Amino acid sequence: MDTRLFSHTNWSLLALMLLLYLAGMVNLYSASGTRLDSGMSFSGFYQRQMVWGVCGLCGMMVAMSFDYRRLRNLAWPFFFISLILLLLVPVAGKTIYGAKRWLSLGFMSIQPSEIAKLAVLLIAARILSREAKPLGWKNFLSVIAVVTLPCCLVILQPDLGTTLMILLILAGMVLFHGLRGYVFKTCLLLAPCAAALMWFVGMHDYQRQRILTFLNPGNDPRGTGYHILQSRIAIGSGQLWGKGFTEGTQSQLRFLPERHSDFAVAVFGEEWGFVGCLILITLFCLFLLAIFSTASQAKDRFGSLLVVGVFFYFFWQIFINIGMVIGLMPVVGIPLPFISYGGSATVLNFTLIGIVLNVSMRRFMFKG
Amino acid sequence: MKPPHNTAVPARTDAYPHGRRGLFRSWLKIQVENERYQPPHNGLIILQVFIGILFFVLVTRLWYLQIQRGEEFARLSLENRLRQEHIFAPRGRIMDMAGKTIADNRTAYGLSLVREDCRDIPATLTQISVWSGIPVSQIWEKYQQDRFKVKSFEPILMLTDISFELLARIESEIFAWPGLEIVVRTKRNYPEKDIFAHVLGYVAEVNEKEMEDDPALAAGDFVGKAGLELELEKQLRGQKGLFDVEVDAHGRALGRVLKKEPRSGHETNLSLDLSLQRAAWEALGGEAGCVVVMEPDSGKLRALVTSPAYDNNLFAAGISRRDWEALRTSNRFPLQNRVIQSVYPPGSVWKLVMAAMFLEHGISPRENVFCPGQVKLGGQIFRCWKQGGHGNVNMESALVVSCDVYFYLMAEKVGIDKIEAYAKACGFGRATGIGLPHERTGLVPSRAWKRRRFGQPWVRGDTYNISIGQGYTLVTPLQVAVYVSALLNGGDLLKPRLVEEDERLVTGKLPAGAGTRDFIVKAMRLAASGGTARVVARKDADMGGKTGTAQVVKLKMAAGDRRLRTAEMEYAQRDHAWIVTWGAKDGKRYVIVVMVEHGGGGSSVAGPVARKIYDHLFGPEAALAARAAQ
Repeated sequence: MDTRLFSHTNWSLLALMLLLYLAGMVNLYSASGTRLDSGMSFSGFYQRQMVWGVCGLCGMMVAMSFDYRRLRNLAWPFFFISLILLLLVPVAGKTIYGAKRWLSLGFMSIQPSEIAKLAVLLIAARILSREAKPLGWKNFLSVIAVVTLPCCLVILQPDLGTTLMILLILAGMVLFHGLRGYVFKTCLLLAPCAAALMWFVGMHDYQRQRILTFLNPGNDPRGTGYHILQSRIAIGSGQLWGKGFTEGTQSQLRFLPERHSDFAVAVFGEEWGFVGCLILITLFCLFLLAIFSTASQAKDRFGSLLVVGVFFYFFWQIFINIGMVIGLMPVVGIPLPFISYGGSATVLNFTLIGIVLNVSMRRFMFKG
Repeated sequence: MKPPHNTAVPARTDAYPHGRRGLFRSWLKIQVENERYQPPHNGLIILQVFIGILFFVLVTRLWYLQIQRGEEFARLSLENRLRQEHIFAPRGRIMDMAGKTIADNRTAYGLSLVREDCRDIPATLTQISVWSGIPVSQIWEKYQQDRFKVKSFEPILMLTDISFELLARIESEIFAWPGLEIVVRTKRNYPEKDIFAHVLGYVAEVNEKEMEDDPALAAGDFVGKAGLELELEKQLRGQKGLFDVEVDAHGRALGRVLKKEPRSGHETNLSLDLSLQRAAWEALGGEAGCVVVMEPDSGKLRALVTSPAYDNNLFAAGISRRDWEALRTSNRFPLQNRVIQSVYPPGSVWKLVMAAMFLEHGISPRENVFCPGQVKLGGQIFRCWKQGGHGNVNMESALVVSCDVYFYLMAEKVGIDKIEAYAKACGFGRATGIGLPHERTGLVPSRAWKRRRFGQPWVRGDTYNISIGQGYTLVTPLQVAVYVSALLNGGDLLKPRLVEEDERLVTGKLPAGAGTRDFIVKAMRLAASGGTARVVARKDADMGGKTGTAQVVKLKMAAGDRRLRTAEMEYAQRDHAWIVTWGAKDGKRYVIVVMVEHGGGGSSVAGPVARKIYDHLFGPEAALAARAAQ
């Protein structure tokens, strides 16, 4: 193996990722506990998360093993495969909580919308890397046209959260690449219209309800507002230093809903306090900065756009999930990377970081 | 990190030039941009700005929640947990016309369980069984049923209406059982028990369907299930209040903040008269039957008794399965409200309707008919109730002595179609609209009905039967009371009123002119003074009446040509006894309808019941003297 591969690898990114994963494990251990009369009982979430982490490391190795520029060739085939899977969902999908999002493979279930997220990231990186100039109408609309179909399929499932994620990742990449002034201004003008369209046509009643509840959670403290109020109480009651590891009453006494998955960071905030949260958010920001540095050092446009896509993939999840838990955003089912429990999400996160590391370690190929 | 290197290499088309071919060729091809790539300057700045915003926004908000408002949230979370508790609004009382209570509330103690506070649910349920003596399996069953009806931290009502001795015992031991709590709930109480059972109905614990239909209801609530309790549910119920309760980690309530005052239900005055209702109940003397006392001018019901009845307190306390089965399967049908939910052949009472119809269809009251005691129609003999016949009768005397033959022959002249239309116009065959659940409409038969029902054409014999209130005609006692009231009040068919403050409501106009009405009223007066209804005669009041003896099965003749006596018949085959009366004294007028199921003769069985009720209404005047005078 070329030693230069090794020396160029973005080690700090890897270290930060492992640190976050570790923090997630520790938090999950506490979140899976329930206080009983005879002490604590822990369910096996953190053990399973450990297994998923190992799987994730394997995925990361695979993602690092080949030259990332081959991914450009894969973008279109991958895109079509994800479209086919999305089309299969209404036909053969499993219905869970009133939404059809899952395809059962017998031994496991996959969520085609997650794959679509990745496919859109790749295809956008490929299309945007064609030209160095900021996007004019033609290129801009062609990107929009390509993602319209997968977005429509996902929103029909219905899965508003993932649709928004896809659009936000795409928006980040487009912003990074640059837009002509007039395109940008037109988009700004059209944004409120798009939001209105979303509200009246694209949303289900329960989704609208969530947003209204978010605006005024006190309205319905036992129903939809319950999550918001309880997670605010959990976080707020952590105060400066927190209640201590496994001492959080909100979560241990089962006040906090979804405490392993979407609201995991509320457990963290309750037990580690403001100081712990500050450290966690700093870690996340350093993690994003590490991805950023790879993007800025990449030696080709495709690689750099790929890394920027991954950057926004993490950025929006962090922003939306923590924002939701601390009451800045409506409740949408988006997990926090490395902190929330989730098998396929963990594997995917590790694999994406593998791609970023891949880009960082192959910078030398351009030096000749 | 090394500083970025800006010298680009010459383009290479393949990183692995040593020949791999075939399927993976396109995958292996690496396209390299051969320009000198520099990431867009603005793009990099945007990424950094995004990271900055992320950090700033999240940290600021966390500072606000954890430092600024930290103590407040800590108080809410650490020791105290916020719960909401309902304050039950007392259900509106129900009173009689004079303001005497016939349904109120009493304090009752219950035992409730909060799952989340319970350390060991099986042991707790076993303890409840030990206290109450109810088998553990039954307690488990109730728990399993109710646990999904409540939200987390809401109490499940496990025991209701605990006795005082048991309450004392539970109170002394409850501290060992976290999650259990003694709760105070008001219980519906019906002091008059059976007497008002069918009018009032009862309340019982809400079921899942009712909760679905009405979001204001929650598990453990009591709602009206029958009678006025059901009909007036919305106004009787009131509105629950709300407490915010702070509870510590052991489930003990620390403090309550009143969020919403409870609003008690609307108090309702009925038009019924408690003492009259009691008198009517006693007059019936336990016979299966019913009594309607109605004011003909206002439509107000002063008594509405049906017997046998049941103790509606049993339902309010949560009726046991055994009691319920006993009520449901009893062959005396105590759950049936006979005034509106049972239909009977009207018997001779029906002649009041027929006579009015004859008059309205141009038959002269003076027209004579000779009654030889029976009429032959084809091979069939239609008898008059009086063996040997009444001789010459006209309309008035036919009503007074209740001659069947007169009505056979006259009805045939008019025909079934007109009878049907007239009876319907008099309010028969449709509900009176009294405002109690499950009122039946009765039946006015017609040619079309018979064809539909039996596939047979109408025959003359059917008309004969109809004319004396036999055959297919079915009425409720209340319909008869409404009809007779209309004769007296100028022809208004009124909605019978149970609630004092309800408006007088005319539901139809009697198709009988003043002459017709006066004629019928006069005939009833004659019947009461010297005819079949003389049992109600009294000197101090203007009285009128008509009896009826409705056959339940076709006439059975004993050996020879003699009719069976009532006592000789099976109970279920005995005739229904009717009397329809009105009485006026000191400007007060009443219509009283008495129906005794399988009682036998109208004048001998139903008559004395009506007589006793008049004694109560008008005072026990020289009733004996009146009878002696005959």
